[in-house]
Amino acid sequence: MWCVGGDVRLILNSDSMKPIYVQVSEWLETEILNENIKCDEKVYSQYQLAEMFNINPATAAKGINILADENVLYKKRGLGMFVATEAREIILRKRKNTKLRSMVKELAKEAIQLNVEEEELLEMIRSLHQQMKGDLK
Amino acid sequence: MKVVECKELTKRYGKAKAINNLSFELTENKITGLIGRNGAGKTTLLKMIAGYLHHTSGDIQVFSENPFNNLKVSANSIFIDNGMSFSPSLTLEELLETSGEFYPNWDQRLAKRLFDYFSFNPLQSHVNLSKGMKSTFNMIIGLAARCPLTIFDEPTSGMDAGTRKDFYRALLKDYIAHPRTIILSSHLLSEVEDILEEILLIKNGEKLLHMPIEILKEYSIGISGKATAVSEWTSNKETIFTQSIGVDGSYVVIKNDCSLRDLEIARDIGLEVSSVSAEDVCTYLTSKTKEGIDHVFN
Amino acid sequence: MSLTDVTTWEITKKQYRYKLKSYFGVFSSLVAIQLLAILFSLNGTGMSGGSSGTFSYDVNYYTGDIIQVLVMIWAFITAIIITTKAYRYDDYSFVTNRLISHYSNILFLFSASILAGIMVFFTGHLFRLITILLKNTDSIMVSELTLLGTLKGITASILYIFLCASIGYFVGILIQLNRLFSFLLPVLFVGALFVDGMNNDPTVFPSIISFFGSENFLFLFILKIIMASALFYILAISFSNRMEVRP
Repeated sequence: MWCVGGDVRLILNSDSMKPIYVQVSEWLETEILNENIKCDEKVYSQYQLAEMFNINPATAAKGINILADENVLYKKRGLGMFVATEAREIILRKRKNTKLRSMVKELAKEAIQLNVEEEELLEMIRSLHQQMKGDLK
Repeated sequence: MKVVECKELTKRYGKAKAINNLSFELTENKITGLIGRNGAGKTTLLKMIAGYLHHTSGDIQVFSENPFNNLKVSANSIFIDNGMSFSPSLTLEELLETSGEFYPNWDQRLAKRLFDYFSFNPLQSHVNLSKGMKSTFNMIIGLAARCPLTIFDEPTSGMDAGTRKDFYRALLKDYIAHPRTIILSSHLLSEVEDILEEILLIKNGEKLLHMPIEILKEYSIGISGKATAVSEWTSNKETIFTQSIGVDGSYVVIKNDCSLRDLEIARDIGLEVSSVSAEDVCTYLTSKTKEGIDHVFN
Repeated sequence: MSLTDVTTWEITKKQYRYKLKSYFGVFSSLVAIQLLAILFSLNGTGMSGGSSGTFSYDVNYYTGDIIQVLVMIWAFITAIIITTKAYRYDDYSFVTNRLISHYSNILFLFSASILAGIMVFFTGHLFRLITILLKNTDSIMVSELTLLGTLKGITASILYIFLCASIGYFVGILIQLNRLFSFLLPVLFVGALFVDGMNNDPTVFPSIISFFGSENFLFLFILKIIMASALFYILAISFSNRMEVRP
């Protein structure tokens, strides 16, 4: 069973602008992406999540339901929620389309405000991207 | 099942109305936060639910019965606040035993373990406890009694930061294991919001809003930018709070009923759109004027 | 979570047990008051003397009656005390309603009266013993005791104490309803004594006392006291049924 320490609880930052249930669903997504929960494995119940993150079970359930609506999770009656086969693809696609895209949008906006030309911006991205990749390996 | 149901509930003290035309329902097995500023009527409302006070007009039902002077309500609910009085002739240990006799779902093991965890002296008397220790002891009784309706009125007053955290975690864990209807009053929403399912916000004895806490977090948005642009864009919207920043800047909080298109327009004309925390929404909604304390200095 | 059904009697018993434990201080004041009563009584309550020629005599009456009177006052005050907020609100930290609070208080006062009545009997005897040992007297006459007489005496003592407690309880509740009564009631009482005694022929108070005191049949006496106590309790209960807790 999972060891629930104080550090895990720190993951959820209630000052952050994202609603807690979104944070819960993103945390679950990351767990699936990192293959800590594999395909057709059962995910944490709303009560386990509530205890882990010190939040109301209803809030945790809302986080799970987001993923169920996106078909990342599927329900087995009476058994709980399980990770769908295509979960990883769905999450990756979603993150590219929404999270990454909006971050790039912000980036472009800031670059325009600072009069940074397109080439300069791309160069910055390219070098940082390679550096990070190297760090991760 | 409805556990608490109030219809146009009013409680008058002389001419002043402590609770004014309040209507709401609490359904089973939810943790509801009763939030309001000092003097908003939180304690009066909770004491009416507990059957301590009678109402002046309207209707109040707890477990589908009038709670005043009601044995069924008394046996199935517990009201915890720092005004709880216990006989000075009994030791803390004896008080726990006595509670166990009265409450059928009492968990003596939990009570004893919490008692030891917070290092209480079993032979001490309740009157000699410090304010914080009193709150902690009362909280233990409130948790271990496992009443179908558990009411905590400002339960953490006097507790230190560590004990507060411990209390909220203990409350959540015991609630998960034994779901029941819990009402938690506080003027500090940020402290309790994570464990709440619903929030009931009152001001001057009247209901401001009653909704799931997650919806409250999306209830309003903050707009900041040049004062003229902000006031023009927000002119046809319901403002909750305004504050001027610097020479010509302003920050306005409005009710979030704008379309995505509206927000895009706001961004395009250089306005900053931000979310507003539940705590801030409550502070703005319950403040006396739309400018808050700044009003006094203007 | 499912709701529990409880009965009034079940909770009354629990509240009564709680009160026996938590109102313990009441009994230490009872012991203190009896010791005080013995000290008072040692002076003797009545005295007469005379002489004829070379022969003179003194007769001293020593009685334990003062013990009974003080204990009755104790019961009166105790009953007032348990109607005060500090005691009333204690009940509400656990399961109760107003009726149960009253019932358990009455049961408590009745138990306290029984204990006090028995103690008065023994203290009376203790007092006689002390008198015999301490007083340098030539001759002592002690009234005779039979078992039946003793039992009757104790019963009467208990009932008088209980009656005082019920009056105290009623007075206490009136004061809780309105502070004005704490001033008004003593004034009315003393005033009534004056008015009654003004024409040198008091009638009201002596007739109240003889209503109980001159009853020769134990059964009727018990009935009279129970009825009178019940009246005070019923009044107290009906006056206070709308009283709020920690308003």
